Amino acid sequence: MKLTATEEGALDIEGIPPFLFDLLNAIPLRAASEDPRAESRFFPDPARDELLVEDWKALVHPELHAAFLSAREVVLADLRGASELGEGFSMQIPANHTDAWLSALNQARLAIAEENRFGEKDMAEEIVPDTSNPRPLALFQISFYGFLQECLVKLQD
Amino acid sequence: MPPVDIPETETHEQTGVAAPWNVVVHNDPVNLMSYVALVFRKVLGFSKDKAQKHMLEVHHKGRSIVWTGGREKAEFYVQQFHAHLLLATLEPAPQD
Repeated sequence: MKLTATEEGALDIEGIPPFLFDLLNAIPLRAASEDPRAESRFFPDPARDELLVEDWKALVHPELHAAFLSAREVVLADLRGASELGEGFSMQIPANHTDAWLSALNQARLAIAEENRFGEKDMAEEIVPDTSNPRPLALFQISFYGFLQECLVKLQD
Repeated sequence: MPPVDIPETETHEQTGVAAPWNVVVHNDPVNLMSYVALVFRKVLGFSKDKAQKHMLEVHHKGRSIVWTGGREKAEFYVQQFHAHLLLATLEPAPQD
């Protein structure tokens, strides 16, 4: 797999193996987790003040829901624009979609971590890709999404 | 035209409404350090060095006060951090 930053600030990704392309396609679904732990991680309380928390739920949460959904939709559209070349896939993340990708990748990483109850120790584990076992696969998925996030962060530097 | 006496006025800072609030960002094991620093730069306009310093404080101490000021703006910043999926809260700043 080859990643190239274009002069316009886009990220071209070429030669994506089918296994990794499947993981990319899983981003919107994983990010849209309905796991209660993921929900509470996505929408944390802003303070101890109960009145503020109530206001926050009524006024801020709908905005956050909309922003998270919008990011996932942008990612889905970019993934649908991918093309199959030989044994791999190619796609581009345009510069003006970088924020949406950062958000969706973060949503997916946080959701997977919450669903699997991963903590600091788990995140520091050496990752051995093993598609037959859900735990190392989930850790690998978080790590792969983190790698892409790092690339996108560097693009913005 | 005769001179007009302008009475001296005093201004009083309102307590309560104007009391300062801290915006606190908390550590979590999933968010990437580079991403947290980038969000500090985007939301608060921090320099690279300042963003790095606060990110490391979050990482090592579990939390960092990244901004102090009026409540309305503090709420706005916390909302921005939540939109970037960072764990952030606001709390009254201790007053001397």
